Amino acid sequence: MPDDLTTYAENTWCPGCGNFGIFNAFKNAVRRLEQEDGISRNNILITAGIGCHAKIFDYLDLSGFYSLHGREIATAQGMKLANPAVTVVAFAGDGDAFGEGIEHLIFAAKRNADITVIIHDNGVYGLTTGQFTPTSPEGFRGPSTPFGSPEEPLNPIKLMLSVGASFVARGFSGKLKELTDVFYQAMKHKGFSFVDVLQPCVSFNDTYKLYNSKVENLPQPVSTVEEAMKLAEQTEKLPIGVFYQVEQVPTYHERLLGDLNIVSQRASKEQRWESIRTLLQQST
Amino acid sequence: MEKELFTFIAGGTAGAGIRKAGAVAGYIFTRMGRRVFEMEDYQSLIKGGHNFAVVSSATYPIKSHYMKADLVVATDKRSYDMHKEHLRDGGVMVFNSDAMKDETVPNGGIGIPFTTISRKYTNSELRLGVGAITVLAVSIGMSKDELADVIRTQYRDAENNINFAMEIYDAAAPQLFGKFTLKKTDEKPLPMISGNETISLGAVAGGLDFFFSYPMTPASSILHFLAAHAKEFQIGVMHPESELAAINMALGAASMGLKTMVASSGGGMALMEEAFSLSGMAEVPVLAVLGSRPGPSTGVPTYTEQGDLRFAINQGHGEFPRVVASPYSMEEAFYLAAEMLGLVQEFQTLGILLTEKHLEESRMTVDIDPTKASWAEPIMYQGGDEKYLRYKITEDGISPLLFPPSDQVIKFTSYEHDEYGVSTEDPQIIAKMHEKRARKQETIVRKLMQMHTVNVFGHGGPVIFTYGSTTMSVLEALHCANLEATVVQPIYLEPFPTWEFEKFKNVSPIVVEQSVMGAFETLIKEKTGIKAKASIRKYDGRPFDPEELAQQIKEAI
Repeated sequence: MPDDLTTYAENTWCPGCGNFGIFNAFKNAVRRLEQEDGISRNNILITAGIGCHAKIFDYLDLSGFYSLHGREIATAQGMKLANPAVTVVAFAGDGDAFGEGIEHLIFAAKRNADITVIIHDNGVYGLTTGQFTPTSPEGFRGPSTPFGSPEEPLNPIKLMLSVGASFVARGFSGKLKELTDVFYQAMKHKGFSFVDVLQPCVSFNDTYKLYNSKVENLPQPVSTVEEAMKLAEQTEKLPIGVFYQVEQVPTYHERLLGDLNIVSQRASKEQRWESIRTLLQQST
Repeated sequence: MEKELFTFIAGGTAGAGIRKAGAVAGYIFTRMGRRVFEMEDYQSLIKGGHNFAVVSSATYPIKSHYMKADLVVATDKRSYDMHKEHLRDGGVMVFNSDAMKDETVPNGGIGIPFTTISRKYTNSELRLGVGAITVLAVSIGMSKDELADVIRTQYRDAENNINFAMEIYDAAAPQLFGKFTLKKTDEKPLPMISGNETISLGAVAGGLDFFFSYPMTPASSILHFLAAHAKEFQIGVMHPESELAAINMALGAASMGLKTMVASSGGGMALMEEAFSLSGMAEVPVLAVLGSRPGPSTGVPTYTEQGDLRFAINQGHGEFPRVVASPYSMEEAFYLAAEMLGLVQEFQTLGILLTEKHLEESRMTVDIDPTKASWAEPIMYQGGDEKYLRYKITEDGISPLLFPPSDQVIKFTSYEHDEYGVSTEDPQIIAKMHEKRARKQETIVRKLMQMHTVNVFGHGGPVIFTYGSTTMSVLEALHCANLEATVVQPIYLEPFPTWEFEKFKNVSPIVVEQSVMGAFETLIKEKTGIKAKASIRKYDGRPFDPEELAQQIKEAI
């Protein structure tokens, strides 16, 4: 399936892997942004953590930075601060974003960093052969928890709602159309956007049937955080779509830098000399 | 007799305005055309404890404070106890008589009821520093008007401070007025700033765009200074959630074309280490300032040491080129920060500016010309390839840069990769990329060979090897003891400028450093084969005192 958004890299995801759904939905969303909103793919930059999810960086023919395990959300914020004119998407695994690098996820949401975070949430460390993750259910058996995980899982949606994320959504890798739509909305959202994608791992945690029987479309976001929290607590049915969105919240780069875009407006050598001379004079 | 060298110590609890008093004393001395070096000794606490500022000034370019003072103002008992041994012949101790009521005070001390007088004013404790400045002014024969002018320009709440100062003035003048006559010069007053300020200004002069840092003493004042002046410089300054965030954001921003810097002390640098290795692999430049405190672990936060040398040159897992350098003075720190920012851009890798609390937080008079700072320019892609290759194999190991957004796809990556930036496990490509980065190391060495990488001070006499701010202590020690020696200080420590040491291969130097295990001495031996004749090491967290060091050097000769 080579196309103009796919590199020559050999695809090594397992056949049937939920990552294919995320990959295809994301490419569809990029094309939709190009067609409907005139946003060039040159201005859509990507970053990824480390794990099966992150191979998407090699497969997508887009610019960006293949980061470290858990640090992709920090990398993404640095990229956005450098040039607020671009759209930055961080792909992360549940181990990356909820384990190794949870601080960056929480703070990116807290400060309303204008980036999109897409979690490939399969509840398992696939690339390291099946250990439990922060979203694995209690009792999950993997090589590091042979008698079952002794921990309760995190609820990613509730976590993000509680720290003030301005766009919180859930998708399912098996529903391409709905997932495309959520990605498209997330990238268009001004401010921090979070998409938790339920994703089966066919080798170590095949949740395909379970999710297929439980997901149901959420037609539109609810209007309060409290309602969104209640939706996030549902376990019989798993709503997918945008849970909560609040617009017009100032973004972090606006609050820190105003309208300064350092790439295009950096001070010249001579301006810097002048400022330094003035400061030295004041210290005399 | 007019004094060429004069040292003033002010001591008191944290919160008594002692640090400010050190700065104001410096202001007074620079107004007399004198050079100043000020060292602040403070503890890791906010209130209480013991702080003191040592301000030495001279008519020549002084490079260290002296622990033997001409005038000590002890605003509490603890200061008195600590500094009564710090008076030189003819020195005067002025103590707080309110704090010493039940104590036997030896001859020669002058008691002033600082506390009683200060209690007539609000924020009485904070005014003790003003009291210390007043005593200094009296002792060097300043008039009340001159003192009032100083307070007006240097302190808030000037009216109350001036009233308070005048009461102290009257109490001190009968015994102390004009006790010391300081030699003046016609030199223009020079700015007196800290090493952290010169590092910050140097980075800005060199092209710094964005600074990311999580607070950690003694590096925090870089963050404070740059944050305060970010708007003037049109740069970004961010204090994120952790050092991990700081360095990864810095690399993300650098991948977009910004010149970025981070700073911390040992613990924070250790947290950043995985990302330093990422800088090496992804070939994304970043400059990191490592400000040493006595270690290991949390160590002693507000004191000085040079125990991080090996840590600095060995940052990051895996093999990749990097540049490590350490400035000897506040002025050199300015030019070096700019130069290193340029080197990391040119070679797309990690640079570490290694320094110590003693340089970062001491203040001295500096003569800086911003137009002489180098300006960082990366080597940019000029087109010509069918597709842009981020990791193009080149002879010198440098793959020209291009930054997003672009109509070309630009892939930076932490995995081993092909030229395009796609992950690889191919044995031939792995080897080729390793070799490309290794060639960059050789290119860096060729570049350094054209640069000024080692300072040599003086000529003749015994040879002394040292580095970092300890160099200032050595130079001042030689000056005060009137000793002739050749002092060799490598500015660059990685790649190590071995070629500059050829001419010293037959000497047996004295090695001076602030380290218990002799990290510098063993590095010199490993890199150059030169064995030390004698080692002078200090590792109690305090910088060398020039007179004590001179004695040690004499014994070593």
